[in-house]
Amino acid sequence: MSMTMAKLGMGLLLALGLGAAAADTVKVGVIMSSSGPFARWGEQFRQAIEVYQKQHGKTVKGNTIEVIYRDDGGPNPVRAKQLAEELILRDKVQFLAGFVFTPNALAVADLITEAKMPTVIFNAATGMITRKSPYFVRTSHTIPQAAVPIGQWAAKNGIKRVVTAVSDYAPGHDAEVYFSKAFKAGGGEVLESIRIPLSTNDFSPFFERILQQKPDAVFVFGPGGPPTVGLINTWASRLKPAGIKFLGTAETQQIDLPKIGRAALGVVTSFHYTETVDNPLNKALWADLQQMFGKDTVPDLASVGAYDGMHLIYKAVERFGPRPTGDQALGLWKGVAFDSPRGPVRIDEKTRDIVENIYMRRVEERDGQLVNVNFQTIPMVKDPWKEENPE
Amino acid sequence: MSALTVVLDGVAYGMVLFIISVGLTVTMGLMRVVNLAHGAFAMIGGYVAAVALGAGVPFLAAALGATLVAGLTGALAEALIYRPLYRKGELAQALMTFGFTFVVIAALTAVFGSNIKALPLPGYLSGLVDIGYRMYPAYRLFVIAFGLALAFALWLLIDRSLYGARLRAAVDNPRIARAVGIDVNRLFLLTFAGGCALAGLGGVLGSELLPLEPYYALRYLVLFLLVVGVGGVGNFKGSFVAAIALGLIDTSAKYYLPSAAAYLFYGAVLALLLWRPDGLMPARSAQ
Amino acid sequence: MTLRYGGWGHLLPWAAALAFYFFGSDLLSLGTNALIMVLFALSLDLVLGYAGIITMGHAAFFGFGAYVAGVFSIHFSNDPIAGLLLATAAAAVLGLITGALILHTRGVTLMMLTIAIGALVLEVANHLRAITGGDDGLQGIRIAPLLGLFRFDLWGHTAYLYTLAVLFVWFLLAWRIMRSPFGRSLDGIRQNVRRMRAIGTPVWWRLVAVYSLGAAMAGTAGALSAQTTRSVGLTALELLTSGTVLMVLILGGTRRLYGSFAGAVVYVVVQDLAAQADPFRWMFVIGALLMAVVLFLENGLMGLVDLGAARIRALSGSRREQR
Repeated sequence: MSMTMAKLGMGLLLALGLGAAAADTVKVGVIMSSSGPFARWGEQFRQAIEVYQKQHGKTVKGNTIEVIYRDDGGPNPVRAKQLAEELILRDKVQFLAGFVFTPNALAVADLITEAKMPTVIFNAATGMITRKSPYFVRTSHTIPQAAVPIGQWAAKNGIKRVVTAVSDYAPGHDAEVYFSKAFKAGGGEVLESIRIPLSTNDFSPFFERILQQKPDAVFVFGPGGPPTVGLINTWASRLKPAGIKFLGTAETQQIDLPKIGRAALGVVTSFHYTETVDNPLNKALWADLQQMFGKDTVPDLASVGAYDGMHLIYKAVERFGPRPTGDQALGLWKGVAFDSPRGPVRIDEKTRDIVENIYMRRVEERDGQLVNVNFQTIPMVKDPWKEENPE
Repeated sequence: MSALTVVLDGVAYGMVLFIISVGLTVTMGLMRVVNLAHGAFAMIGGYVAAVALGAGVPFLAAALGATLVAGLTGALAEALIYRPLYRKGELAQALMTFGFTFVVIAALTAVFGSNIKALPLPGYLSGLVDIGYRMYPAYRLFVIAFGLALAFALWLLIDRSLYGARLRAAVDNPRIARAVGIDVNRLFLLTFAGGCALAGLGGVLGSELLPLEPYYALRYLVLFLLVVGVGGVGNFKGSFVAAIALGLIDTSAKYYLPSAAAYLFYGAVLALLLWRPDGLMPARSAQ
Repeated sequence: MTLRYGGWGHLLPWAAALAFYFFGSDLLSLGTNALIMVLFALSLDLVLGYAGIITMGHAAFFGFGAYVAGVFSIHFSNDPIAGLLLATAAAAVLGLITGALILHTRGVTLMMLTIAIGALVLEVANHLRAITGGDDGLQGIRIAPLLGLFRFDLWGHTAYLYTLAVLFVWFLLAWRIMRSPFGRSLDGIRQNVRRMRAIGTPVWWRLVAVYSLGAAMAGTAGALSAQTTRSVGLTALELLTSGTVLMVLILGGTRRLYGSFAGAVVYVVVQDLAAQADPFRWMFVIGALLMAVVLFLENGLMGLVDLGAARIRALSGSRREQR
């Protein structure tokens, strides 16, 4: 065999080998809650991911994006950590994602730093999470982001005295602190700050107490899930007749409005995702969700968090191929701006947290359905907690 | 005046607990079965009603239907699942019923999804009623009235009727009861089904306070067990008193001392159980 | 504890556990969890299987141990063994106090009381958010290398062997204690309290003692969980956790030396597989498994082992004395 033939043969083999390596599977480990009382968040993640994959295909430059789902069963940091370990060591994922609850995200911080695993937070919303590891990026929102605008709006719109009633856990406390700060800065007075235990079924005693104080409005932060409906219904039957307004953030998401009913009409909230926002991406999300999962499917905050999170992952694979390192991915994501179904978003260069519009919206009736309708946009809000607590 | 509202709220909450738990105290008392699946029957009743209401069935009919379905499910469960457990001891029963609860939760999640199922109340229950010093939710007044009526009906049934006499006899001494011709098995089956039916009804009526979602059966299980334990296993009067008492304690604690409310509740339970280990009103038959 | 299969049978589970260390490198954290669950279930076996104390609040001791170990490592010292010992002692004290409070009752009342105490401990942990982290869980736990030499690595090698060693120590202790007169008297108390009283046994003291012992053991399990996963959450104190360990014990078989092993391993594996296969439906699998075990396996999984061993013995024709 001549040298040229050998070289050609080697060259061919090499080319084949390279070609084979170029088309690879990219594994994304999604840790979420898909059983128990919080299963709806996991369901929203999965649906949004499937819509994204339908819209953009399951491959990026020949590399298949494979999503592995794991159930943390709810706020369970120990389990979340175990799942993350398995995904990193056993399944050898390239990306971690998901995280409905703050404690679950916090639990994996050390792990992802040690493993240099790029991790996208689809939902958990406490301000300080992204500080806990340089490999965290977040595509959802932070609670202070949502709580400050409603405090400012209330102070400017004739509401002078407020009682805050929040669920007694970290997100609730965040909401209480930031709403109160913004409200008081605008000249308002907070009469009392009530913290309602998470396990509460019957909210009437708390609302009776609020009634006795005769505020102009009550700022509520619910735990999400079943009790939130009870909360707002109790407001409707006890406080609304007395003229006490309801101020909130995510308590009137469209997915819950049918259970609350007409009592919710007129309620003003501030949040980063209003289902009726008019842009092509949101319309496509709605259309695909309903086509794939039934006409009663409604996108919610977890849906857009997951959708945009997938977008980041796809971008990283597009740029770096099937095996991006954590540093490469984070380097790409820091400062990236793109369009989301919720509006324009950006990932902050320094904090790796989401910067997005916050919308002031009101519950109205359109075509016989209860929906949130935006009446004001506060553009590109950064996370207030990080602004106030620089590193 | 607000104190009166707190009392009303507490009693209403207690009534819901009573309606659901009375079935449990009867089944645990008479059949000596540790039934951790009781919440599942309440849940089944609620979901059946939700489906019926969604199909346009009027509220009372839907509630009745739900009650019947829950009762039938209970009867089936008794024959297939509970009967083999009688001789296996309390641990086996706890485990089996726990597993059964898991299965029911998983099945309902698969069918209905994991969101809350709201039961739309009929017009006459969803408004406010003028009770003199304020407007008060009609729904709560209804629950209170219903609970009282149920307690009365149960009293008539258990303390004053032939069925009740037979039941008490069968619980006190099954062998002698059989000897005098009482069909103990059929009696127990009927009573167990009745207990499950009541649970289902409670699930429907209580859905405003205890919202329906697949995790319902486990989430509120502790509450039901504690009402039964504090009241006295097997004694429906005891569970009435216990339910009202716990409802009042919980509600007033939340009103006056919101941050310490949970402590007060469990502390009260602890105190009550230590003061009266056999329950506030122990069942007649000595263990 | 009955030991039916003689000396060699003893080695099998421990050998398997060691073998797993070498062959199961990717799954070591799962293995560690299984070992912790074994210890937890074993602790319940002492209290419930032997002494007959029906408790649905055993998680209180597990969680308490976990939090003590976690808080100790954050605020005082990183040393794992010191934390372990402290957590065990603390859980024993909690068991002593609560046991003394409620062990004069029996049956359903006792069960209700254990539930109430469990709920109360959970509330306290939730309330003392500044110390326990509340719903966020306890974060920032760092564990120093074991004996100054073995670092707790990402892959879980040290954690696994550490847990196995601790389990072994407690196992030996428990075995010795249950075979002693003290242990026998507990057996008697479970079977017939009146008779035991009649022969002068200080029943209440014995019950409190075993309850505290079980609490201590559960506290160790909790501490191990905190140290090996470096996180503690409120779920450690939930009713569901108490229910789970009860399930695991009965699944494996009570009052059997290796019942908790069988139950814990099966449960952890099944849960992991079911959750992987279908994150949305694993509850169905677990629930069905439980029902099947109760209906068909009288003595839990060890009953299956008995059947198997009887078959083998019949086939081999040897006749060995059975206990």
